[in-house]
Amino acid sequence: MTRDLLRQTALLLVIALVPAIGQAVYYRDRVSWNAPAVEKDEVTIEQARAWGANVLWVDARPDDQFARQHVPNAVPLNEDRWDELLPRFLETWSPDRRVVVYCSSQSCAASHEVARRLREQAGLPAVFVLHGGWEAWLEGNK
Amino acid sequence: MNASSHLQADGSTTPVWWVGLRYIVAIVVGAIFVYAGALKVADPVAFARDISNFHILPWPVGVRLAFYLPWLEIICGLTLLLRWFRSGATAILTALTAVFIGATIVARLRGIDVNCGCFGSASKDLTFGWHLAIDFTILGALILLWSLQRARAR
Repeated sequence: MTRDLLRQTALLLVIALVPAIGQAVYYRDRVSWNAPAVEKDEVTIEQARAWGANVLWVDARPDDQFARQHVPNAVPLNEDRWDELLPRFLETWSPDRRVVVYCSSQSCAASHEVARRLREQAGLPAVFVLHGGWEAWLEGNK
Repeated sequence: MNASSHLQADGSTTPVWWVGLRYIVAIVVGAIFVYAGALKVADPVAFARDISNFHILPWPVGVRLAFYLPWLEIICGLTLLLRWFRSGATAILTALTAVFIGATIVARLRGIDVNCGCFGSASKDLTFGWHLAIDFTILGALILLWSLQRARAR
């Protein structure tokens, strides 16, 4: 029984390698293998810093995380309180400022969602997402 | 042997309801993993980001796993559906689910905002509680399947 189980397990682990390697070869030029790639609508912390005072930081994390710590002068704008926070954000926004949205890390979806809504619903032209999110900010300010 | 029992290769019999339950659980669990794997196969880079968000594995390892794990789920799910290598598939899927639950809980305790990516973008809006409830339900089904198979083997 145990021997049969080990044989089956080993076989399945090897069989799954075949399509996985095939797909990886197919994707080889479209994937960043050594570090996460910067998406088209993303900016790195260095790029955002280079824009200086022309950046309006938007914190898309939940209220409690914003209250704990945030980028200096960042405006809270999360989806939980979108209707309430959007007018306050628009009061701060001006056409000459680029908007950089962040959430907690690279793979949280909130920053991309807030950026999309700012582009599509509020009609803002220059909206970007911070690559790496709040963690990248902390890392860049050590 | 009568209508309510099922003859095994060794001449012993198993109640029909027991056999039926095993098939139903295997089909449901197999279908769930084929579905979950297929969603992730469609966007391996997004799944790589989800793995990276757990802050357990470095990106180069996570991105390679993002290509491998969905296929492992699909292959194991298919073998459950087709009734091949069921013990091996159940063992692998149980281990994967248990590791994933552990990683989710650890990430949460470390204050990481985890989007598990278990069902691709379809699960991105689920709360942490829902993620755990679904994962524990799947783990429970796998353990049930495991015990049904063990009982048959005895």
